[in-house]
Amino acid sequence: MIAATFPVDHFLSMSLYALLVSAFFALLWRDGRRERWKLFGTLLGSLVLGGLAVAWLMYPFP
Amino acid sequence: MTESRGGGSARSPFMAMALAWLFPGLGHFSLGRRRTALAFALIVTATFLAGISFQGRLYTVEASQPLTMLATFAVYGAGLLNVAARLLSDNPGGTILSTTYEYGCAFLLTAGLMNLLLVLDAWDIATGRKR
Repeated sequence: MIAATFPVDHFLSMSLYALLVSAFFALLWRDGRRERWKLFGTLLGSLVLGGLAVAWLMYPFP
Repeated sequence: MTESRGGGSARSPFMAMALAWLFPGLGHFSLGRRRTALAFALIVTATFLAGISFQGRLYTVEASQPLTMLATFAVYGAGLLNVAARLLSDNPGGTILSTTYEYGCAFLLTAGLMNLLLVLDAWDIATGRKR
């Protein structure tokens, strides 16, 4: 389904995962609209940028 | 976000927990948090379906691999989604050679764990520990 229509791309897969997890925890942990968006942005940014950072650090290793 | 809390509520915290486990968001729906329930249902279901679509594994316990107990517990946390996927899927073990296999497993495990968190959240709301 998704795998057939969604490009098999590590970055996109990771981003989709980060998007869903960020939305879930923003809804679970915060009540107000503003607080939820703030946490969502923080989590999404942290997960995506953190993933890129780890990928960059692992780049020299086969 | 303004929460709509119309309608009835679950009879007991245990009922709310049971409903929450059965399907993502159902516990919150029974407690009157309908918009949040819908959002949770969409997020957890999308995560689970992505896992299936990415050919992840619906874990079962294997005696030779004790960690599969934890993974099985996590996947069973998705409630009826997990049961339906096992009944309907022709490949519940996933496709280990697929490029997306590891992603699929991560999505499936995460969906189950998310739903288990919703079960605990439903308990907190039903008992008044969380507003």
